[in-house]
Amino acid sequence: MAKILKPTQINRCNGCEMCIFEAQRQLKKVGLEDSLIRVFRKKNPETQAPEFELEIDPRINILDVEKIASICPKKVFEIQEEIKND
Amino acid sequence: MIDISVKKVLSIDLEKQEAEVKSFSDLNKYFGGTGLGLKLLEIYKDKNPLVFSVGPLNGFFPYASKTSIVLEKDSVVEDIYMGGSLSTRMKFSGIDSIVLSGVSQEEIILDIQNSIVNFKNKDTDPQSLGLPGKRSGIYFEEDKLLCDQYFTTPEYYLETIFKEKNIKGITITGTEIFSPANFDDYKKLYTEILDRKPDMRVDQAEYPSCSGCPMGCSKSKVGEIGGNVLLNSLVACQFADKIYTDIGVVFSCLNTLGYEYTHEDIENLPELIEETIRNIYK
Repeated sequence: MAKILKPTQINRCNGCEMCIFEAQRQLKKVGLEDSLIRVFRKKNPETQAPEFELEIDPRINILDVEKIASICPKKVFEIQEEIKND
Repeated sequence: MIDISVKKVLSIDLEKQEAEVKSFSDLNKYFGGTGLGLKLLEIYKDKNPLVFSVGPLNGFFPYASKTSIVLEKDSVVEDIYMGGSLSTRMKFSGIDSIVLSGVSQEEIILDIQNSIVNFKNKDTDPQSLGLPGKRSGIYFEEDKLLCDQYFTTPEYYLETIFKEKNIKGITITGTEIFSPANFDDYKKLYTEILDRKPDMRVDQAEYPSCSGCPMGCSKSKVGEIGGNVLLNSLVACQFADKIYTDIGVVFSCLNTLGYEYTHEDIENLPELIEETIRNIYK
């Protein structure tokens, strides 16, 4: 079964973007353009503390998602098995 | 594609609201960051410049996450360092330095996308500028300038200069990419350096992290002032000094990316910087 990268602990994200750069390296490039992961910065409206949102392109699963998950210092990601409905 | 064969400087004339990109192959020996910033401060001295610079390793290797800011305040040259995502966005703009010259006649916001500069009205919503996920912004929150709404610099030098120059804020978006010729060697070296986390002089913590650094340390928020010239020309973090003051490591990083520096170039840098500072104070 295919493995899926899921950001299950997004509240832990520190915005380091290591996941973006790992995904890009697997595509043999350095930069942000056409990245399959994007990190957006925002502020918590109540506490004003910085928070982050992740947008993950479904095509991420063509990459080594375990390596992407393992480079995250905050363990934001989980690898899940794709469940196919027959 | 990012061109690392020359130093590309985005020169912005605030008074005329004009911008141009200049390529300087003769400035390669200043590496980047503070070395390049000081040389540009000397070159543009008559125009009261504020210089933002990234180094050759920013965006490419872990823990090299700061942006150098060089300015002259009350006839004293200051070098300060800001964390956040600014350094990667500058790098991915394909720009080594941004020189802000003169004074704007009215309060403005600069919207920079790669090497294109749009001069925006002070009332423009910063959230409407740049590309989300690929931008970095420096804006006032009360009396401090914050990058990414969190990272700042020591003292109030930057805030004072922004106010003097009538700059309300800057958004920088970078969409260029780079692909080292020998990508496998690059990835191997990247992993080796990333694994040197125990050599960092800060503990991993729960704070927002600079782009390209996994530490999330308590020290990143306020940035740095002064320090080691090699480190500050590569614009690594001062807490990564055990890694990036090792000339062998630095040379390997530069070589892997395709920079044509020699050991001698690295060893000559402190003297070049001293000479540049002497020229600025002449």
